[in-house]
Amino acid sequence: MEPVALLSDWQFVVSNWRFLLLGTVVTILLTLSSLSLGFLLGFPAGAIEVYGDGWLKSAVNTVGVILRGTPIVVLIVLFFFALPIPRLGTVPVIDMQMNAFIAATLALGLRSAAYQGQVFRGSIQSIASGQMEAARSIGMTKLQAVRHVIFPQAVRRSLPGFQNEFTIVLKDTSVAFAIGLAELLTRAERLYLQPGRDTAVIEVIIVISAIYFILTFTTNRALDRLQQRYAIPGGNE
Amino acid sequence: MTEAAETRGSAVGRVGGRKRQVFLAVGGLFWTWLLARWAYHNTLLDGLLTAVGLPDVLRSDLGVSQREPWLPADWFAGVAANLATDAGGVSVLVVDPLVWLFELAALAAESEPALAAGAFLTVYLTVLSMFFGLFIAVPAAVTRIYGGPISSRISLAYTELIRGTPLLAQLFFFYFGLPLAGFISGFRVMEVSGMPRAAAVVAIVAFTINSSAYQAEYIRAALQSVDPGQLTAARSVGLSRLQGIRHVVLPQGLRYAIPGWTNEFVYLLKYSSLAAFITVPELFRRARNIGSDTFQFTDIYLIVGLLYLALVITTAMLMNRLERRVTIPGVGMPAGRD
Amino acid sequence: MSLLRIENVDKSYGDEDVLHDVSFAMETQDVEVIVGPSGSGKSTLLRCVNRLTEIDSGAIYLNDEEIHSLDENELRRRVGMVFQDFSLFAHLTARGNITLGLREVLELPKEEAVAKADDYLDRVGLADQGDSYPAELSGGQQQRVGIARALAMDPDLLLFDEPTSALDPELIGDVLRVMNDLAEEGMTMLCVTHEMGFARSAASTVTFLDEGRIVERGPPEQLFENPEHDRTNAFLGELSGLH
Repeated sequence: MEPVALLSDWQFVVSNWRFLLLGTVVTILLTLSSLSLGFLLGFPAGAIEVYGDGWLKSAVNTVGVILRGTPIVVLIVLFFFALPIPRLGTVPVIDMQMNAFIAATLALGLRSAAYQGQVFRGSIQSIASGQMEAARSIGMTKLQAVRHVIFPQAVRRSLPGFQNEFTIVLKDTSVAFAIGLAELLTRAERLYLQPGRDTAVIEVIIVISAIYFILTFTTNRALDRLQQRYAIPGGNE
Repeated sequence: MTEAAETRGSAVGRVGGRKRQVFLAVGGLFWTWLLARWAYHNTLLDGLLTAVGLPDVLRSDLGVSQREPWLPADWFAGVAANLATDAGGVSVLVVDPLVWLFELAALAAESEPALAAGAFLTVYLTVLSMFFGLFIAVPAAVTRIYGGPISSRISLAYTELIRGTPLLAQLFFFYFGLPLAGFISGFRVMEVSGMPRAAAVVAIVAFTINSSAYQAEYIRAALQSVDPGQLTAARSVGLSRLQGIRHVVLPQGLRYAIPGWTNEFVYLLKYSSLAAFITVPELFRRARNIGSDTFQFTDIYLIVGLLYLALVITTAMLMNRLERRVTIPGVGMPAGRD
Repeated sequence: MSLLRIENVDKSYGDEDVLHDVSFAMETQDVEVIVGPSGSGKSTLLRCVNRLTEIDSGAIYLNDEEIHSLDENELRRRVGMVFQDFSLFAHLTARGNITLGLREVLELPKEEAVAKADDYLDRVGLADQGDSYPAELSGGQQQRVGIARALAMDPDLLLFDEPTSALDPELIGDVLRVMNDLAEEGMTMLCVTHEMGFARSAASTVTFLDEGRIVERGPPEQLFENPEHDRTNAFLGELSGLH
């Protein structure tokens, strides 16, 4: 490979910065929507696995095993093809197909809920049972106790697990490539599939990998800060 | 605190009671089918049987598309078609799901030989990559903890870069970016029958590197949980630093790494599905191809999802068993040491 | 009318009888101290009164109302509890530990809850520790917050479950002083404790519980000076030998 060609490949990537930036926006949007869905469903799921009983607990457990035991690519294509998601068209500017975005959010979000549920379950179980009893002993209902005593402590203890989950979801948004969602990796492919640009494959992939890395790295550092900030003074957790 | 951040919860967890019985029964059936299929089309076994005078017992000569289903696919399809045309006044609410179930069974029976071949590659990729990954992971973890300022940083950079980028991007990098496939095809070894195609080798390279970074993190955390006094004690009996690590720290630390390691195994089993996007005909790729041929995407993805679940759950149960086997009372459970 | 009346209470875990035909009554302003060897069912008895543990048979009356006819949250609001391991809410400050129940259960407005919390912190000698988190406090300080937390709910009866046995000896004094003050102010208290000094000075009645049965019950002078049963004598002798 001649140096001139190499330079022009890098220039090609740079000249398409806007195209990749929009892909980054889609990647971030998908990460945020999936994590939010995962959090909203994950905490109740974890709480049910600890405090629930009977069929509800068993159902949550079974759904969790299914979601955690299936590859994410299978979940994404299955949700994309099987669910009757209406064709909502495409979001302008970022060129994002809404039905693909919804399918990917559901797949990544529900699976994340299954994992976050495990994290929360562990956190709740690590909180001394005395905390629940103390809350009940001043007359709080079980729900009040979970909301005011267990939840705030469990969320803090879950932060490391949540941080981990963030990295995994962010990286796995790339699997939405399978349903053609215009996120970072899909856009990378579109770039080097342009006629005569097959020499730029490695440059394009290095650049998008760097973007993923910067996103995971900076967010992890930010979450580290958050963790220190909201740590309970004197507590070791 | 950071140690918890390196791990991901296990997919399945411990299964008990009646659920366990059901899993064992279904899992047993599933593996009987898989192993029978694998053996039935295995070149080596066939050669062996031919050599002892049984030439036509196994059929390793058949290409994947020529293999006959073991279940009556046509019969299932016939029942579905009959039900659909002649409901006989029964409510659609009952008939429609029944028709669908028989169609699903027909598709499953039809695709079974191809899916079994795909599952073989899935397991093959996973086992080899985990195995090779271990040989990078152990030195990487040891360097990270005991190495000098430069070597430990290199090890850190390696694991962080790999773990900070998506696996799919890594697969693309090795397959489309580096001319690795062409390079591999150039070797004479690749012409020997039974060797995987070049794309599969690229997948193994990528998975090995990827899993080595995750395995290294588990092993690092495990080594750090070994009492530092152990290495001091090793030095005090005259062992060199490397000998101390090799004979005292590693044998203890690797035991602590087993739960994380088995977790990573199950994780890779699932993520090996991404090799489909670099043309490796593993389980997911097979399903995708069947989908393109039949347009029954939902059905085939449902079937392949169930197969993955069976693979993952049985593997996880096996791993749990392995974990219990290798634990020595008082060792291998960091929490129980104080 | 007795404040608390316990009638023929039985409780077992599987084959193990923990409480057997326990009956006694307490009047308002009584300080009842329950003593007995470990595993004698003292803590279980206490937890049955606020229904953290449910009894198998018998009845318990609070102000002549059977406690199982009451809403359990209402019951617990009226019966406070102080725990052996303090069980302060780890994520809340000392003040937050007290205001939580005032805000969520009694539904007081914020300013009122804070003022009340500070008042109770002052009463247990911790006026300057309102902003400290549990992990920043000593065991004795934590336990006094625990007492303030229970007290702030204006309970009719306060249960103490070995409040000093998790404390270092030099920290016990502060907690006992608070308990003595409460007794003098007329708080009705049911205490499981090994602190014989407290029993002698503050108790109106001492009950000796062994193997789930009440062996002997009476004023402290009687139990300590002239126990009727040999077992009581032996147990108290052992305790005073220890302390």
